[in-house]
Amino acid sequence: MVREVAESCVESLMAEIVSSYCKGVYANKPELAAPRIEAIGFQVGHRLSERYTMDRPRFTDHLEAIKFICKDFWSDLFKKQIDNLKTNHRGTFVLQDDWFRWLAHMSVDPSLVTSGSIQDPSAMAENEAAQATGLHLYFPCGIIRGALSNLGIPCAVSADISNLPACSFVVRIKV
Amino acid sequence: MIVCLAVVGHQNNPLYIQSFTEADDALKLHHIVHCSLDVVDERVNNPKKSGPTINEAFLGLLYPTENYKVYGYLTNTKVKFILVTTDLDVRDADVRNFFRRFHAAYVDAVTNPFHVPGKKITSKIFAERVSTMVKSFGLSPAS
Repeated sequence: MVREVAESCVESLMAEIVSSYCKGVYANKPELAAPRIEAIGFQVGHRLSERYTMDRPRFTDHLEAIKFICKDFWSDLFKKQIDNLKTNHRGTFVLQDDWFRWLAHMSVDPSLVTSGSIQDPSAMAENEAAQATGLHLYFPCGIIRGALSNLGIPCAVSADISNLPACSFVVRIKV
Repeated sequence: MIVCLAVVGHQNNPLYIQSFTEADDALKLHHIVHCSLDVVDERVNNPKKSGPTINEAFLGLLYPTENYKVYGYLTNTKVKFILVTTDLDVRDADVRNFFRRFHAAYVDAVTNPFHVPGKKITSKIFAERVSTMVKSFGLSPAS
């Protein structure tokens, strides 16, 4: 018996997690919200990786595990694969997603650009967008970190937004 | 007849160990499970060229003792399942089937948000599912 939930519920829940942690729980110390959200993502990724690696043969090396994250894991979670994977062959991987599902319905209000610095409005707008949506990427970073650590690969994951809804996740494997 | 089932984490910490005999030899079975962990590590680190592929989860018969046969299974997340049985003519396919269903039950138990990863599995539902599977092991023909 498989129970289903509407995707809009999941997106609203994600947005509300960020909002309530930043403005409610840690209103006085907003810098504590990010690691907390990332830790929740870690637990989720840990459990998801148990389920999604069930019927697969074992991975032989780190690259195989990262490819699993890019292809099967991402398509189980977001119905699409990672669009681009780059590596420096020394333990750093960049996973690029050109249309990140959880950011697809987000937009940043351009009228919130602060007055004063009008040299480069497009750069300002991009900066605002990056700051506002950066918080929403901690949860997926945690998911990736949890999944990889359950596969035996301790790592640190961070995210950058170039332009909505494309984003990239940088995975640095700890030696 | 299965006498003992064990789930061992990736740091060789026991997550679930259950014996299914009325006799009082639980300690002996725990010891057998403990010894089989070394065999698992050996199998994984030194793959025999002519053996089965090193990437498969099911490791097969680990080692036979005087009364028991010990089977192993290693998941992608480095969790080991050990099965001790007294049957002399147990079929490979039956054991594989059993491990697949056991893996599904294990995944369901671990995705419980109240389960702490690395600690013992305390879910009663998991224990019931496992005892049902153990009772029906080997009784029905492979379907």
